[in-house]
Amino acid sequence: MKKITIITLITTLFVSTFAIANEVNVFNARHYKADAELYSKFTSMTGIKVNLINGKSGALEKRIIEEGADSSADLYITADAGRCGAMDAKGYLQGGLTSKAIKAAVPKSFRTSKWVGIAKRARIIYYSPERVTGAELSGMSYEGLADPKWKGRLVIRKSSNIYNKSLVASLIENNGKKATAEWAKGVVANMARDSKGNDRAQIMAVAAGEADIAVANTYYLALMLSGKKGAEQQEAAKKVKAFFPNQNGRGTHMNVSCAALVKGAPNKDNAVKLVEFLLTPQSQEHFTNNTFEFPMIDGVSPSPLVVNNLGLDFQQDMKTKLASYGKNQAAALEVMTAAGWK
Amino acid sequence: MKFNSWYLSSFLISCFVLIPIITVFTSFFESTSNYYEILKNTFLIEYILNSVTLLFSVLLLTFIFGTGTAYLVSFYKFPGSNFFKWALILSFAVPPYIYAYSLTAFFENYGTAFTILKNLFGDANYNKSIPKFDGMLGAILSISFSLFAYVYILARASFLYQSQNLIDLGKNLGFSKFKSFYKVILPSARPAIVAGLSLVAMETLAEFGAVDFFSINTLTTGIYNSWIYFDDLAFANRISFFLLLFIFSLFILENLSRRKAKYHLNSGGGFKQKEKIKLFGMEAFSAFMFCFIIFFISFLFPLSQMLYWTLKFPENLFNLQIVNLFFNTLYLVTLSSFVLLFFSLISNYGNRVSKNKILNFLSTLSISGYAIPGVILAIAFITFIAWFDNSIVKSLGFTSIKKIFIGSILGLVLVYFIRFYSLAFNGIKSGYEKINISVDESAYLLGYSKRKTFMNIHIPFLRNSLLFIIILISLEIIRELPITLILRPFNFETFATTAYISASEDLLEAAAVPSLFLILIASLFIIFTSKHILRETNE
Repeated sequence: MKKITIITLITTLFVSTFAIANEVNVFNARHYKADAELYSKFTSMTGIKVNLINGKSGALEKRIIEEGADSSADLYITADAGRCGAMDAKGYLQGGLTSKAIKAAVPKSFRTSKWVGIAKRARIIYYSPERVTGAELSGMSYEGLADPKWKGRLVIRKSSNIYNKSLVASLIENNGKKATAEWAKGVVANMARDSKGNDRAQIMAVAAGEADIAVANTYYLALMLSGKKGAEQQEAAKKVKAFFPNQNGRGTHMNVSCAALVKGAPNKDNAVKLVEFLLTPQSQEHFTNNTFEFPMIDGVSPSPLVVNNLGLDFQQDMKTKLASYGKNQAAALEVMTAAGWK
Repeated sequence: MKFNSWYLSSFLISCFVLIPIITVFTSFFESTSNYYEILKNTFLIEYILNSVTLLFSVLLLTFIFGTGTAYLVSFYKFPGSNFFKWALILSFAVPPYIYAYSLTAFFENYGTAFTILKNLFGDANYNKSIPKFDGMLGAILSISFSLFAYVYILARASFLYQSQNLIDLGKNLGFSKFKSFYKVILPSARPAIVAGLSLVAMETLAEFGAVDFFSINTLTTGIYNSWIYFDDLAFANRISFFLLLFIFSLFILENLSRRKAKYHLNSGGGFKQKEKIKLFGMEAFSAFMFCFIIFFISFLFPLSQMLYWTLKFPENLFNLQIVNLFFNTLYLVTLSSFVLLFFSLISNYGNRVSKNKILNFLSTLSISGYAIPGVILAIAFITFIAWFDNSIVKSLGFTSIKKIFIGSILGLVLVYFIRFYSLAFNGIKSGYEKINISVDESAYLLGYSKRKTFMNIHIPFLRNSLLFIIILISLEIIRELPITLILRPFNFETFATTAYISASEDLLEAAAVPSLFLILIASLFIIFTSKHILRETNE
């Protein structure tokens, strides 16, 4: 009996590695429950099984790279255009996300042939209406975060965070590396505390009076307002207001969650089908209502919580190509590290 | 011939376990990217200082918590002393990263503490008056409260062994309780305490979850960043090299104190069972409070925070395939324990019968896997497999073997093997040390073969050690994070990975359910085996 158990254990070890089926393998760095629900919907509609390996973007990318041409990965899904771009720059993606459905759904600056955006988010400024005047904010831009008037009043998370890296990468694209290096020093000088915590913690720091302005993504405030984080955070969220920077210039910095087609993908066709599915109005609506992101496609409206509290009529930065986020990733981290941004 | 096969197999096992260390060292002299330059000019010193601060603060705290509680429960009788004796080990069930989630959940702006104050005293902005345990302080506390049990268990075992004579000695010299504690009792337990502390030190330097959660930059983070974001494996390995040097010195320290520990145990002669002193009044109350506070903070606090969240956001409970997670965890635990025990037995026996110096050295070196951070192990393993596949397997014309090792249970178990080999190896070794070599010789004289000696004499003798090792390995694997995270197959999650993934997405409430189950399962495990943990160590 014992022997049989051991043999079964050992055989399952190997068998599990070689199962062949109608499937698509996703290396997934987005871990929302809403996504899992969409994947099972996709499976029931098409019969294609979605295999997931969840993890943080960095480790997943490394695994794809080390596995090389033999990687089992079909799609790499992550919440930052910079990461998709970086994988592209290293040559681990392939073209193929060029079907009519994809091209029709996604604006040009939010896709390449190798990766496409599936949902949008803006990185914006949150402020305390009690302590920050309209005059101070008027015409505010990301560049303005380095203005000495914010000394000791700003909170933003660590330099290693992917959203910060992409924001700074876009600044490098627009203003050059040298100017951005100076800017980063100004930002560090303005910080109310050493960088720590996630985006939501930055918003709560403003609500709690630790700082006057914070930089964080759009969907966090909606999440707090939704009550999904408890009554206290709902109250806290009402103490801060959202401000969309760079409205007089190129527009507010936009980032996407993106799906990238991995080089050597064993189930390429299924991967394209999954991406197309994620871009259908039904899926997009599911995203906006659950993760509070902005929809990638036209004709779907963001969640009422986002519309009512953050507003819709802001100018998005459609000029800066998202592909530049990936290109400037390393430079962005370099600039921030050199400025002493923790 | 038999001699050769034992020798060969233990040689091969040692070599296998050494692979990651060799991989790290071979790229030491490769050129590095400009990340090194930037880091050197900015944060490198800070990384080192952070590692050192973390390490020494954790050592200090675990020393105080571990020896303090061990001293009280071993020498005195006070209300609850019998309960604390085993309950203090429950802190093992809470891994540092789950402790970190609890600290944050309780003390953050608008966190649980805020809710409590609001419910008690009405609306106000309490945020500023609630202390914030995050960053370095948070990490120190999380790791200390989770790991002090190492010191507790070993110190207690050593205290129990102290003869009544020793205590009488203190009394006869007219020492106060406190004076005889640090003049007599503490010095004679020193080797055990140092052994416990060096385990803590290795775990602290290898810690990933809590340090990552509080995003503290330590040497380990430096390694991770330079590998992940700068593709600079050479620099990552260079930092690893220094980290390993540091760890090796701890390792040697641990080995030395182990040798001394043996000396102390052997001093034998005139051992008199000691009687526990009954405490009264203030003394009894203080002893109770000290143990209770540590028990409360280390175990009840994280448990209740996770329970509170699970109840507050019950929808998360139904989103989780708990049975599935449970069986995945169980599967890994069973398979790994089996593999680890099997091979550690072989290599221990090989060492015993061959008495070869090189082999002895190799196996001492190979148990250092325990000291290498899991992140580095996993990375080194992938690097090695990729290299082996590209330069050997493929050039010989075979198909790629990567999928067999990367992203498979097999790969996962292999890396667990490297990581926890020292636990199994050392455990069996210390069991073996109790079996006199003359037993083997008598067996041979009676015509037993080496195999028969091993099966019929050694295994029954080692039964208790083996059980203890299984307990340790299981607890480690239930809590293990970085290796599982990097190497697991598709659609395969454990309680640990589910908790981590939710937490990293800023969904701490969702992390509460898997965390709660992890704590409960590990606690049950500890409760059922606590008699054994306590007995084995004082044998």
